[in-house]
Amino acid sequence: MTQAVVASSTIVGVEAIAVEVQVDVSAGLPAFTIVGLGDTAVLEARDRVRAAMRACGYDFPNARVTVNLAPAPVRKHGTGFDLPIALGVLAATGQVPRAATEAVAVGELALDGGVRPVPGLLAHAIAAQRAGRPLLIATEALPVVGAVPNVSTRAVATLSALRHGLPDESSADAPCMRDAGAGPDLAEVRGQPAAKRALEIAASGGLGVLFVGPPGAGKTMLARRLPGILPPLTAEEALQTAVVHSVAGLDVEPVLAGERPFRAPHHTASTAGLVGGGSPPRPGEASLAHNGVLFLDEVPEFSPAALQALRQPLEDGFLTLVRAEGRVRYPARFALVAAMNPCPCGFLGDLQRPCTCPPALVDRYRTRIGGPLMDRIDMTLRVDRIDPRCLLTGGSDEPSVAVRRRVAEARDRAHAREGDSAATSGAALLRACALDTTSRRAVERAARAHRLSGRGVTRLLRVARTIADLDGSDAVTARHILEASCYRAFS
Amino acid sequence: MSTDVRFVLRRGEHGYPAHLELTPRPPRVLYGLGDPGALRPALAIIGSRKATPYGLDCATTFARCAADAGVPVVSGAAMGCDLAAHRATLDANGTTVAVLGCGADIDYPARARDVLATLREGKGAVVSEFPWGMPPARGHFPARNRIIAGLAYAVLVVEAALPSGTFSTADHALEAGRDVLAVPGSVFFHGSAGCNRLIRQGAAPISCVEDLLDSLAGCGLIEMALRRGEGQGMSGLTPLSPASSDPVLCALLAQPMSPDTLATAPSMDARELLRTVAALEAEGRVARYPDGRYGPCAPR
Repeated sequence: MTQAVVASSTIVGVEAIAVEVQVDVSAGLPAFTIVGLGDTAVLEARDRVRAAMRACGYDFPNARVTVNLAPAPVRKHGTGFDLPIALGVLAATGQVPRAATEAVAVGELALDGGVRPVPGLLAHAIAAQRAGRPLLIATEALPVVGAVPNVSTRAVATLSALRHGLPDESSADAPCMRDAGAGPDLAEVRGQPAAKRALEIAASGGLGVLFVGPPGAGKTMLARRLPGILPPLTAEEALQTAVVHSVAGLDVEPVLAGERPFRAPHHTASTAGLVGGGSPPRPGEASLAHNGVLFLDEVPEFSPAALQALRQPLEDGFLTLVRAEGRVRYPARFALVAAMNPCPCGFLGDLQRPCTCPPALVDRYRTRIGGPLMDRIDMTLRVDRIDPRCLLTGGSDEPSVAVRRRVAEARDRAHAREGDSAATSGAALLRACALDTTSRRAVERAARAHRLSGRGVTRLLRVARTIADLDGSDAVTARHILEASCYRAFS
Repeated sequence: MSTDVRFVLRRGEHGYPAHLELTPRPPRVLYGLGDPGALRPALAIIGSRKATPYGLDCATTFARCAADAGVPVVSGAAMGCDLAAHRATLDANGTTVAVLGCGADIDYPARARDVLATLREGKGAVVSEFPWGMPPARGHFPARNRIIAGLAYAVLVVEAALPSGTFSTADHALEAGRDVLAVPGSVFFHGSAGCNRLIRQGAAPISCVEDLLDSLAGCGLIEMALRRGEGQGMSGLTPLSPASSDPVLCALLAQPMSPDTLATAPSMDARELLRTVAALEAEGRVARYPDGRYGPCAPR
């Protein structure tokens, strides 16, 4: 009876937790069993491992092979256990040196013995880093894990490369930060100065925006340009976001290069699609937009349940899924941009086309966005189709780079004043605004004229504070209040 | 149990409004709730259900003016301009009559429930030619318009698109030999096209409170002397919009616009523009419409 133990890990939420792959080869009727609560993909490893070992010239033992994935009560998913299982069988039968089992091995096997990458490699790399062990992965996946520092990465292209033990450490360069501004540029949007200004304020203050306008007004075009005026991701933020993308099986290269994610789920998205879920749980669009922008186009068309589920991430910056098999926590701190038509047909208030909606329908359409979401929308603005003449005339609109510089300055100013805990409500916000008699009167006047609720006043102050930051002003003045009152919610 | 007073007026019997009797096709029976005395010769104020704040403010201003002059206001209790006219009349302690396209005891539209309840209590009247409990139906409304026109000496259309249901009321008014008045609107806005068309066809344009008082006197609803003497003390007699040379204000008064559309006209920085609009709004010179555009409103 011979045994071998190989380290591996499995994804729970956006983290990889350590799994020990224990292999026992003993005399008896030839059999190959995998225990330890694996899903179908894990159980299918038997056939891949057997074929891959034979293809690489190894012998598959003509004995009773038992594989246990410990800790046994944790449900395990995916094909990442192919490589550690094969390695364990090889080590137990003496076909590779025992030293080869020192690494945390994660990889899928092809029938010809090739090693392939699996989703969530960044999370596995972080787990290996924490465990202080080398990481054994597919060569193909090398560029991805370079972003995780202090991991000794060993890469193999096929199973046969392990014949003489672990390969030497492969150098994986950290992906270089791209020059920001690769995405769509604000200069491509002609006109719409007020909408651009709203985006600038939203980017500076981390505020939620709602664009209301007829089809073709450029709401989506504007929203797409918000990531470009946000400061580029820091290395730490990039890694956080990239891990989520990696777990979801998406390309992490743009994120690691500093590009903020822009997620625009369709309005038919399910609750699970929006905030995560399924079995095994997968991150939803809100988490994929972590440190980036979540754009909800046609927001009244989303299912109320899905919108309601956004409440937790909007308040806490993360979301917790509670399922029978346990809780998982996904990061989800994003800038929210929503867009809607003014009415179901889209032409209410349009000068060229009459609206065909009955008035009661318009009211119902407006109220379909629930309270929790509306509470997080700090600015609302009408966007109209622009005059075609304005499209054709050459002119210079400000590029994203220039706006981004102002946004960064405003953010620095707010950070210098408030530190990490941004003043969002109540006394702290009031203190940050440093109102004098004139500006206090302006707030009172706006509140009375527009019948603002307590929450509405807080929102007004928050927007005004950000406008003052953009203005380079320490105190919020009446001018800032006036501009902020233009962005109040539609009644 | 409702304590409202029901009344039924039959053609030729005592109490049936004489001026309604004179129209080409007066209703045989008029079912009503509230005060039958409210069915005096009135001013009808009607307009679009999809009214802009401009239309609503016009309905409010002119209804208040009629109430101050002691003229009852009759309308159809529909959403938009009709309801605004009823509400403004009640606010000014005037008499108002709602003519429904369903039984007079039915709350339709639901949005008008409070207004209808007030009228049934005796602040005015709710009448209909349809029997008690009859539900609303599409075909009832043109017939209802005939009664609105019949109860009024003049019909004022405050805002109407093309085509519009107000045209049927205007046609009935002309058939009955009553005056048709219309408030002009922007020539670029389809929501105003109906009113402008009525004016082209001969309706009297009403562009200020004095115009309305003149018309009310012209059709015999008020004494000429009243128009001259007491007119000065009336609440609505301030000019509808004080003169101004602010280009932003002038642009918005001429045509409602979103800030971005406005920005293409005068060369002005977006921030400055937004502040100007917000300041005008705070002063009550312009209002933000439910669709997000800024446009004219009644001075407050």
